[in-house]
Amino acid sequence: MKISRRTFNAALAGQALMAGILGRGSQAMALPAGTLTVAQGFDPVSLWPNFSTTQEQINVGSAIVESLFWVDPKTNKTEPVLAESFALEDPKTVKIVLRKGVKYTNGEAFNADAVVNTFKIFTDVKTTPAYGRYSAPIDRAEKVDDYTVKLYLKHPYPALHLILSQIYIVPPKYWAEAGGAEGFGKKPIGTGPYVLTEWIRDNRIVMDANPNYWGKVPEGIKKLVWRPVPDDTARTNGLLAGEYDIATNIPISAAAQIKAQKGLRVVSVPSYRIFTIGLSNLPEHPGPLHDKRVRQALNYAIDKQAILDSLLQGQGRLLSGQILRKEQIGFDPAVKDYPYDPAKAKALLAEAGFPNGLTITFKFPTGRYAQDREVAEAVAGMLAEVGVKAEMVSLEAGEFLRQLSARELAPMGFVGLAPADDPDPQWAQYRSDWRYSYLANPEIDKLIDAGAQEVDPVKRAEIYKKAAQIMHDEASVLFLYQAVDLYGVTDRVKDFLPRGDQRWTLYGMSMA
Amino acid sequence: MLGYVIRRILYTLPSLFCILVACFLLTRLSGDPVDLFLPIDASEEARQAFREQNGLDRPVVEQFFVFTERVMRGDFGNSLRFQEPAVDLLVERLPATLELALATLALSVIIGIPAGIASAYFRNSPLDFTVRGVTAFGQAVPTFYWGILSIIIFSVWLRWLPSTGSGTIWHLILPATTLASTMLALVTRVMRSTLLETIRQDYVRTARAKGLGEMAVLLHHAVRNALIPVVTIVALQFGVLMGGVIVTETVFAWPGVGRLAIQAIYARDYPVVQAVVFFFAVIFVLSNLAADLIHAVLDPRVRLR
Repeated sequence: MKISRRTFNAALAGQALMAGILGRGSQAMALPAGTLTVAQGFDPVSLWPNFSTTQEQINVGSAIVESLFWVDPKTNKTEPVLAESFALEDPKTVKIVLRKGVKYTNGEAFNADAVVNTFKIFTDVKTTPAYGRYSAPIDRAEKVDDYTVKLYLKHPYPALHLILSQIYIVPPKYWAEAGGAEGFGKKPIGTGPYVLTEWIRDNRIVMDANPNYWGKVPEGIKKLVWRPVPDDTARTNGLLAGEYDIATNIPISAAAQIKAQKGLRVVSVPSYRIFTIGLSNLPEHPGPLHDKRVRQALNYAIDKQAILDSLLQGQGRLLSGQILRKEQIGFDPAVKDYPYDPAKAKALLAEAGFPNGLTITFKFPTGRYAQDREVAEAVAGMLAEVGVKAEMVSLEAGEFLRQLSARELAPMGFVGLAPADDPDPQWAQYRSDWRYSYLANPEIDKLIDAGAQEVDPVKRAEIYKKAAQIMHDEASVLFLYQAVDLYGVTDRVKDFLPRGDQRWTLYGMSMA
Repeated sequence: MLGYVIRRILYTLPSLFCILVACFLLTRLSGDPVDLFLPIDASEEARQAFREQNGLDRPVVEQFFVFTERVMRGDFGNSLRFQEPAVDLLVERLPATLELALATLALSVIIGIPAGIASAYFRNSPLDFTVRGVTAFGQAVPTFYWGILSIIIFSVWLRWLPSTGSGTIWHLILPATTLASTMLALVTRVMRSTLLETIRQDYVRTARAKGLGEMAVLLHHAVRNALIPVVTIVALQFGVLMGGVIVTETVFAWPGVGRLAIQAIYARDYPVVQAVVFFFAVIFVLSNLAADLIHAVLDPRVRLR
């Protein structure tokens, strides 16, 4: 078509006409001032933060219901919220001093009764099954006076701050009125900076600032809107269309496009999720993997850097031949991962009695982790180069989890595990009697038990370092990488600092 | 006629029972809800408590009898994920799905029928070629691809329409047109081909011969008769539409039954999967039944058989 002034004007008029007709639609999409809009993968089932350990749900619920402490992501220090302080009176008794003058939004007072009652709920495995592991060390909580609570532990527990920042204090009277977990989860009442205004399931949750909040409501955030958008591509497109301030779990392939758009940035957070391939040496899974040399050979056979660079576009970090991350207590800088050395892998296999290679079953999930199938295929390809033929079994996410915890993900299984941020929950998964452990090593078992109850951080680190050296030498797993969580964020959002388990708080955040 | 209706309704009962059995068994073939609802490192005690609370510790056969007996009373049990009746969850999301389905149906009929008529009447004209091309394209492109493509064009580039969610008429446009893409094409093509056939019938020629105007011949004689298969197709498609709803609702974050279904399947939330599958099956059976009955009403020859 030839562009003349007439056709050009006609096109302009047409554009204006369309904009006029659809104008209301476009205005509705501009991000309103003072409203933080967050798009995440799914709608919370409950707004009671302790309903599950799903971070997407805790992030939403904790805007209303608050915990005793939180861990500041900037300093990594445990900071008080509803408590003022906690101190160990002896290794099994914790004194918690509470904040005074705090009220729930229904008028109930926040005090020791609320805290004791919440501990009761928290330790009841029927009501709070998801937190069974956190509540296991707790014996009971007792009221000393209105603003002091004593917590009795069953045994000394080094990761106490983890429990104290994980328990969300509910108002006892309202909890009973609402009929417990189910009713409370639908209409939560808390002490937090926001109150629930509207919740249309699978569509949106709207919260308004609490005018009587005891602390400081995040600056510039008067309203919160949470939008569940299950499809990763649709969520990314909504961010690009200017509908959200924060879009969680952005696919790696979309990061460049978001970065290129003015007003948007990508926040990349090293995840707590550790990817390994389990190499079972359990008695019920006999086979070549019981030979340490075969397990080492598999570690030498994989070019892990190439997988990270090509399939994950560099978004991740390689493990250092151990399961702990370098920020954790007990990380051993002396332990390094097996380098990529296919010749050495072949030599080790020959030494172990497999000069012509071997065939082995390799199970992996499809659609549970980012690029899971692609990584598994790359691993199988590299194994083939050293003569190991992997018979690949692809599993749907639900079936994958069932097999993992039924110890059927053997002899080789690709897993990404993300336990709580402490070396004990991380290591406990490799204790020989753990439900989904594929490792049987009595020496490591002893060290895990010792580390779980050692309160002195220096001694504790030494215990885990010893365990790491054994596990590395034994090549108990095929070490791969630590993933990255990607968030797309608008420039007006300040101090958005998610943790590696996808938990983030509104404390300390602000919006221009 | 009444006998015909009753017979048709009785035919649906065995299919409904088979669906019931299938959806009970299929969901139990793989995966364990305990792994999906509790964190992977949950204690054994917590896992056992969860099983007991939800009756998952009992033998499968016993679970099936409990299930069937409950379904007779319209109770599918409590959702494992939400801990509230599965039927309530379904009913809560039903209006959104119906809104989407009816909008799709309306779009397909309002655009598809006139387009099909025009295409048949002006056979082999540029108009006909355009309609045929567009409909072939619409039918060929998968729904999820249409969805993503229309979000990119109308939300990201032009910023005319919201990408996802529901609430206003603006939110409805993209999911409804996406879902309508296949159905609209089908309605248009069926309308076109049946009209082409009727136009050649003797009674149409007779109508012309007795001097009726061209519009009167077309609308009163040809189109009226050609509409019968179209109505049947539309009724049948209503059931198929429910399948398309699953994909479309996920892409557009539409808060309906289809999205509930997907979430429940991924989470092995048995009661919800069963309630939703059963509901879809009933819709499918009912739309088939409706197609038969409408056909019988419109075309007396069917009733006599």
